Amino acid sequence: MYSCGALRRGWGHCAPSPILFFSLLLSAAPFGLLGEETRQNLLHIRAVGTNSTLHYVWSTLGPPTVVLVATNTPHSVLSINWTRLLSPEPDGGLMILPKDSIQFSSALIFTRLLEFDSATSDAAAKPPGKPYPPYSLAEFSWNNITDSLYPATLSATFQGHPKGDPTGAFANGSLAFRVQAFARSGRPDQPPRLLHTADTCQLEVALVGASPRGNHSLFGIEVATVGQSPDCPMIQEQHSIDDEYAPTVFQLYQLLWGSLPSGFAQWRPVAFSQEKAGRESALSCQAFPLHPTVAHSLPQSPVVQAFFGLQEKYCTFNLTFGASTGPGYWDQHYLSWSMLLGVGLPPVDALSPLILGIMTVALGIPGLMLLGAGLTLILRCKHASEYQSIN
Amino acid sequence: MEEEEEEAQALLAGGPHEARSGAPAASRALSAVCDPSRLAHRLLVLLLMCLLGFGSYFCYDNPAALQTQIQRDMQVNTTKFMLLYAWYSWPNVVLCFLGGFLIDRVFGIRWGTIIFTCFVCIGQVVFALGGIFNAFWLMEVGRFVFGIGGESLAVAQNTYAVSWFKGKELNLVFGLQLSMARIVSMVTRLMRPNSKQQVELRVSLSWGGVTCILSLISALALAYLDQRAERILHKEQGKTGEVIKLTDIKDFSLPLWLIFIICVCYYVVVFPFIGLGKVFFIQKFGFSSQEASAINSVVYVISAPMSPLFGFMVDKTGKNIIWVLCAVATTLVSHMMLAFTMWNPWIAMCLLGLSYSLLACALWPMVAYLVPEHQLGTAYGFMQSIQNLGLAIISIIAGIILDTRGYLVLEVFFIGCVSRDALLSVVLLYLVIMPGGGNLNYSTRQREEMKFSHTE
Repeated sequence: MYSCGALRRGWGHCAPSPILFFSLLLSAAPFGLLGEETRQNLLHIRAVGTNSTLHYVWSTLGPPTVVLVATNTPHSVLSINWTRLLSPEPDGGLMILPKDSIQFSSALIFTRLLEFDSATSDAAAKPPGKPYPPYSLAEFSWNNITDSLYPATLSATFQGHPKGDPTGAFANGSLAFRVQAFARSGRPDQPPRLLHTADTCQLEVALVGASPRGNHSLFGIEVATVGQSPDCPMIQEQHSIDDEYAPTVFQLYQLLWGSLPSGFAQWRPVAFSQEKAGRESALSCQAFPLHPTVAHSLPQSPVVQAFFGLQEKYCTFNLTFGASTGPGYWDQHYLSWSMLLGVGLPPVDALSPLILGIMTVALGIPGLMLLGAGLTLILRCKHASEYQSIN
Repeated sequence: MEEEEEEAQALLAGGPHEARSGAPAASRALSAVCDPSRLAHRLLVLLLMCLLGFGSYFCYDNPAALQTQIQRDMQVNTTKFMLLYAWYSWPNVVLCFLGGFLIDRVFGIRWGTIIFTCFVCIGQVVFALGGIFNAFWLMEVGRFVFGIGGESLAVAQNTYAVSWFKGKELNLVFGLQLSMARIVSMVTRLMRPNSKQQVELRVSLSWGGVTCILSLISALALAYLDQRAERILHKEQGKTGEVIKLTDIKDFSLPLWLIFIICVCYYVVVFPFIGLGKVFFIQKFGFSSQEASAINSVVYVISAPMSPLFGFMVDKTGKNIIWVLCAVATTLVSHMMLAFTMWNPWIAMCLLGLSYSLLACALWPMVAYLVPEHQLGTAYGFMQSIQNLGLAIISIIAGIILDTRGYLVLEVFFIGCVSRDALLSVVLLYLVIMPGGGNLNYSTRQREEMKFSHTE
């Protein structure tokens, strides 16, 4: 077990309580159970408040998965039974105790990496071209995240490539999931600059260096979530006038698992084809609505089964990045997309002080001058009308 | 009588020049179309004059219509893309000023026109070659050469107009030339590629080359007709009327400088915005590429019929400053609607078109009231020069703002420009004019009364 201790953090406006303690725990499966030296990564992020706790359990045991749990006590803990977790029947291998303190729980599973041949389609087609056989993310082998864990920035990177790679597409490439937690509200420097709070985790998915199977391949990712209610949750598209933080992107997509407060996922429909993200490397990101899927058609996640038990139904949606024209993965063999995951009220962007300041000055000063001119006019007219003729 | 004619000319945008032409009539029996003193022939010349500017106006807006393709194929960001407009404006910081002088003193109107049209042609051809061979630097060179010819060609066009139509249909001609410019710009915007991008880029650029050659042919035809008319009518070669001297600048009064500021600050929020607006409408309002081009061009579509109408209205009512104030306020409202609301942008763009037409008709003639006749050329030349300077600088700044902070901040920047400078200046102008009793904001009736009192 590796712990990087507790960090004190200040007020977050979406925080359930004034002060949260924060700890990041990293687990790797004990050697003996697996026989060979294959490490299974499990990252547990726990944000503790005065009367609540948020747990994020990230794992690449199976496909990359995150389990979000919110409890109403500051004393809830994660309990892992590795033996059971690594067995074919992992039910109960992962638990948050005490169980009756759980207010909300759900999971996101990144099941497949999709690839489409955009040359055979036009821009508005759904799906965006003829699909190549997808890469199942359950068949990837992952790095040891102790090497990529940075306590100072509260971030860790899961980097993986397919176990069997007959075509050598990932010979020089990898798919990375960079997870970052935050001690306070803020925004990253790189677009899309999603506003985060201490209640949230940011996930950045980056495909780097993998060889595409066509000249104009578009990539996508299939995401599944545990289906709790009979209907699948909806992805909401929010329009705003503000594109300050992600230039020319005026939309924000939100996935809400239930009525507030519950878990949410938030992202801007943009991905980037260069490491230095900017307007010229921005790709559009299409999100397809969630639809119910039976469990056996998806790569299975032992972590989800361990926590939630055997699930019959999942809700899945696809995200695709780019269009057949414009910037794309083919430019620099790089693709990155970010999303925010959290529990509670989703962060809301507001106009920056710069804009408010400029508008105040821009409208205020001329307004005052007009007022002054108007008053001067009135006074002059009055003065002129007071003129008495000599006779 | 002469003063009234000058006023009538000056009231429409872009027409600063007076030509001194004699008016002896020809006594030969020619058919109406071939007789230079008859309306039919003048209409032919009018047609050629419109065609003269056709190439220049068509090609000026070529980059905007092809923005997406150029940015993708050349892998340039918006800042670099806006350089294509900056390279047009930079030479004209100086050349507007010299254009009239060159036409007057050095080349003569006929050769001057032909030379400037050649520059336009060569520039567009180089630009097109840059597009075909995917060399952005070549496109920049092309725009530079194009710029050398473009604005001076406008001066030449005005000079021809004055030479042929003074005392007859001059106001109408200016209005029509303005409308022509707008219509052509709109057509350019509508002709942009749909799907097979690479092929369409070349086609579009080639069309630009063809229109420039059309302009060159018009220039040659006009030169021939002008020479023939001079021979038949014993008409003097049209001059711009003044010798532009750099020393005239120090004589400009404060209200004139304020007018310059208003002009610069106004046009820099219209042209760069239209240059970058297509992507704005696609991204923010979800318009398709075609709809976005259409709405982007509505400013020009509206100013095509409205410029002559507003010119007529301002001519009848006077009170120029009030109209300028209205135009500036309307532009402010329009930009605020685009920035802060999701209302249908057609409304905002129509307002922008109306205010743009109104300002052109109300602002430019004011210069004629503030500047003595012999300095008019310098004043207009200088006004165009600093307008080009402002456009060049702001084009680059707009590109940088867009790449780093997005459209909202860009709109707020434009709002800041409009309100801070233009509104402030207009208000200041009002205060400056009022005590001095200048005639900028007199109604037409007051001006008539003044004239009568002068002639008594």
